[in-house]
Amino acid sequence: MKPIIQAEKIIKKYRMGTEVVSVLNSIDLNIYPGEILAILGTSGSGKTTFLNLAAGLERPTKGDIIIDGHNLNKISEKKMAVFRRRYIGFVFQLYNLVPSLTALENAVLPLIFEGVPARERDKKGRELLKEMGLGNRMRHKPSELSGGQRQRVSIARAMINNPRIIFADEPTGNLDSKTTVEILNLLTSTVRASGQTLMMVTHDIKVADYGDRIVEMVDGNIFNDEPNGSSGLPPEEGKEKKS
Amino acid sequence: MRKQDIVIMANKNLWRRKARTILTCLGVVIGTASIVVMLSIGIGLKETMERDMARWGSLNIIRIYPGMQYDREGSPSGEAKRLNDETVAELKVISGVVAVSPAFEVNGEARLGRKQGWLNIIGMDLNTLEDMEFSVEHGRLPSPGESFTIVAGSQVINQFWDERAARSRGGFDYEHEQQDPAELLNQRITVSVNNYSNPQNIKKYNFTVVGILDDKNMDRSWQVYGSLDDIKRIRDFMMQATSGGESGSPSQMPFKEGPMVSSRRDPRQEDTSNDYNYILVRTKDVAQTKKVSSELRERGYNAYSMADSLEGIEKTSRTIQAVLGGIGGITLFVAALGITNTMVMSIYERTREIGIIKVIGASFADVRAIFLMEAALIGFMGGILGLGLSYLASYVVNTIAGGYIQQGMMGGPGGSISVIPLWLALGAVAFAIFIGIASGYYPANRAIKLSPIVAIRNE
Ligand SMILES: Nc1ncnc2c1ncn2[C@@H]1O[C@H](COP(=O)(O)OP(=O)(O)OP(=O)(O)O)[C@@H](O)[C@H]1O
Ligand SMILES: [Mg+2]
Repeated sequence: MKPIIQAEKIIKKYRMGTEVVSVLNSIDLNIYPGEILAILGTSGSGKTTFLNLAAGLERPTKGDIIIDGHNLNKISEKKMAVFRRRYIGFVFQLYNLVPSLTALENAVLPLIFEGVPARERDKKGRELLKEMGLGNRMRHKPSELSGGQRQRVSIARAMINNPRIIFADEPTGNLDSKTTVEILNLLTSTVRASGQTLMMVTHDIKVADYGDRIVEMVDGNIFNDEPNGSSGLPPEEGKEKKS
Repeated sequence: MRKQDIVIMANKNLWRRKARTILTCLGVVIGTASIVVMLSIGIGLKETMERDMARWGSLNIIRIYPGMQYDREGSPSGEAKRLNDETVAELKVISGVVAVSPAFEVNGEARLGRKQGWLNIIGMDLNTLEDMEFSVEHGRLPSPGESFTIVAGSQVINQFWDERAARSRGGFDYEHEQQDPAELLNQRITVSVNNYSNPQNIKKYNFTVVGILDDKNMDRSWQVYGSLDDIKRIRDFMMQATSGGESGSPSQMPFKEGPMVSSRRDPRQEDTSNDYNYILVRTKDVAQTKKVSSELRERGYNAYSMADSLEGIEKTSRTIQAVLGGIGGITLFVAALGITNTMVMSIYERTREIGIIKVIGASFADVRAIFLMEAALIGFMGGILGLGLSYLASYVVNTIAGGYIQQGMMGGPGGSISVIPLWLALGAVAFAIFIGIASGYYPANRAIKLSPIVAIRNE
């Protein structure tokens, strides 16, 4: 199968004053369509950096990221917005909702930039939020929602324009263990249901266990890359294991 | 991104910081209002002055006097031009000229029934009267071919007084009542003139008043107008050099009379005794008046028109407007800095949010559009409110200061000091919006350049 994301010899260095910090040391990784990939690593190992590079939010110092045949190095910053709109959805640890907008408005934000008429996008947004279990929270501002509810809104936002790939950086980093399970179940089941690819970053082995494949990073290198021990298990069984 | 979404989003963002938005708007309000009020005063003054000017004489008429054209230092420039039929023919073909009439002018003692007075009589080409903007309040204009019929200015009646009645009332009454101009209609006025070289030689001429002019043109209210030939006859009689005043053919005599010629200022000059006193030229409009009168001066004619004075007034009023508008401009410039400042602050506050919308697919154009729209909305609101304030200020200026000025000026319908024409109103709002957009440009570009990753990492 052709990979949807190819990372080829990715090197990322930051210049801190006179010092150069090497964060990623020549990473090679292929991610395949429909895969749920967990990137596991200790703090500072370069997980977030790699995810940002893979999503085209940052440029590698060296190496290529190829998404669905498009080399991100060849896409200008200006065109990247349109590219992201088409291919990528994001879920952040800190939700990153727009505080002044309601849950519904936050969820449909990508459609606003896409130019979808208000009626159409609101209909889509309502349906999606209902699926996320937020049917009675549409008009709430983020500050009026719990952490778990906020993350549901942000998942809805990532899914609303049905992108091919979802990137999630510590999506449960700020949630308690019960909510973590709920959110992870929601995230993985929706991704699977719509045949999307999920790249999830975490430092928590329990969270990583939701992946079909776990890539372990240490100090900017891939230390280990193998299918999840329980690989081949249908998601239902995975869920049972957690709950 | 759709246009209405840009507006909605920008508007929402603005009102997240109500106090700051209002304060920023206030700068634009004051800036716009000061520009509009200042310009409106310039415009109002100019309009009032123009209206006053027009009452003192038509802006479409040029007078050409005999003699030299003098330059600014007072030295004569060019040759002295003669005012004769050749001149009239020359003037008629100048482009922009509608009509040309030569004029003779004489003065004499006059009698109207028991009243006496002094009359200034001007002979003109009666065919041109309408073109020369003569219009009657009562009666009609003298028709071409008529003899000794005149049309009188509206104030002519007030130049006659009844000496006997005045004496019986105990002395000369200086402030005799205004008399109805219509009283003069169909009256006979007798004018007595004497020969210059022989003052005992007096001749009387009878005129019938067939019309009274309206008082649109104050320049003409003290004169009476008749036919060129009649007045020339009177003039010829007055200038006759022969003593005793024997009859002859006055219109031909002066050509042959030696003494007449020698009495002229410049003995080398040809005989000019048949030359007109002045020539009137009617043009299409004020613009043509200015053009034609300056062309005439170039040709060496001693040309004068009310429109020339208008030019000076226009220049003055332009200067006033430039100065006043400049003050307003500075205010608005400061307001523009206020908008930029507010937008930059707002970008600082919303760094994270800008990063988010970039990550989830807002293009450069979207981000720019949102910020420019916010700035434009500040400009628009400030402009509208500023315009409202201007109308209020204009009203106050016109009621308070306008009262004083109307008292100060002699009669006439007082003009407004501050006038806000539609173009100024629309222009002011458009300009305020433009100022907003221009001030938002730099902040918007900053927002675009924010890297989404840095923006998100922030905090
Ligand atoms: N913009 C930057 N400038 C300099 N150094 C950076 C920058 N971004 C990341 N780093 C460094 O790169 C290393 C990896 O950072 P990264 O955020 O990828 O770690 P992480 O694996 O996501 O850690 P965590 O689990 O704590 O989120 C860190 O040592 C960090 O200091
Ligand atoms: Mg991280």
